[in-house]
Amino acid sequence: MKIEIKVNNKRYCLEIEHNLTLLDLLRDELGLTGTKRGCEIGECGACTVIMNGDAVNSCLVLAPQADGSEIFTVEGLEENGELSILQKAFIEHEAVHCGFCTPGMLMSAKALLDKNPHPTEEEIKIAISGNLCRCTGYKQIIEAIKSVSNQ
Amino acid sequence: MLPEIKYYKANTVEETVHILAQNKHAIRILAGGTDLLPELRSEKQNRKVIILDISSIKLLNKIEDEGHFIRIGALVKHSQMVESILLGRHAGFLTQASSLVGSAQIRNRGTLGGNICNAAPCADTLPPLVALDAELTLESSSGNRTELLSGFIRGAYKTNRANDEFLTWIRFKKLPEGCRSNFIKLGRREALSIARLQVAACGMIDSNNKICYIRIVPGSTTPNVFRFTEVEEYLLGNEPSERLFSKAGDMVARKMVEITGVRWSTEYKKPVIAALVRRSLQAIFNLKPGVAVK
Repeated sequence: MKIEIKVNNKRYCLEIEHNLTLLDLLRDELGLTGTKRGCEIGECGACTVIMNGDAVNSCLVLAPQADGSEIFTVEGLEENGELSILQKAFIEHEAVHCGFCTPGMLMSAKALLDKNPHPTEEEIKIAISGNLCRCTGYKQIIEAIKSVSNQ
Repeated sequence: MLPEIKYYKANTVEETVHILAQNKHAIRILAGGTDLLPELRSEKQNRKVIILDISSIKLLNKIEDEGHFIRIGALVKHSQMVESILLGRHAGFLTQASSLVGSAQIRNRGTLGGNICNAAPCADTLPPLVALDAELTLESSSGNRTELLSGFIRGAYKTNRANDEFLTWIRFKKLPEGCRSNFIKLGRREALSIARLQVAACGMIDSNNKICYIRIVPGSTTPNVFRFTEVEEYLLGNEPSERLFSKAGDMVARKMVEITGVRWSTEYKKPVIAALVRRSLQAIFNLKPGVAVK
């Protein structure tokens, strides 16, 4: 089937199979491999993207359902060829270790900050509670997000 | 990998019932996809699956104030429920339950209708909805019918929904003025957890400090979700007290064992469900102010 989708401000018109997920579409059709394939059952959050303003697990969205939607992935964070403030904060706070959870963490954090620029620590924790990290530790990640909210 | 899929999309209730009537062989209804996609992925047989995507039906994506009643469209997402001031004011424990579903990402996609129709025994919204005596509207090409939620659920992952029907609205009476409600979920961790046990309860006292309204619905406790009316009757007309609530907790635990029989988990579940019921009642009737209820 044919779908029209806007990803990181770029419009795409694609012919896709019915059994693709949004995650498959982003990685395999558009080559946007920043979004990670993790558990594929909505538990790890590595595939988190922003869909029409909300953080979602792209592994749980059937690609045909994304027809007409606006998607932001980790590749869309950079501004004029530079890392965004949020990405820089992750580096400064050493909130990246192996990096596999990072794109998902960044997108959950961005979805939160877009709606609520000054979240409390509790709100930050809730926003990233669907993103599992097994090596960095959540403390640095929370600190990084908090530092952006203070700016 | 997902199996081969034949994908249909309906934008209105009329289109949905039409497509359902045309495809008598079991069609799978897709709303938020948070249960359906993992389910499709785990299916072993390589059969083509027919999917009907109803997620774009705008009519069913709203929460309506109908005076004494509240009507929720089946496609309302958990995140919308959490943000609803109307629900927070008149059915606080339902908002609480939705706020504990999965994760932020799951709540942004998962719908109330999906939570009901999937009928997982651990579904978070079922205990408060049953406590509210919620009524469902199901639509098919031959018209619509209403049914109480408590009768609609026929056991774990089983409902009364016919193949050509779909859930459109969930409706219930607002809690009486002054009634307090509470939802407790016990899982292995806080986020993304599957409930082990839940308790939804609401109640109020009259001017003589006697309990005049009470609803208790344990979740994940029995195969069907229902009000424990014997326990409610026991509490009615009594003054809130530590002893009364302990007894009510024990009654719920005993009733649970009567229904499920003794299982490997009973030794754990029995004292825990009793404690959760007691805590839930304490929270509603303010017996122990300052005690955190989760």
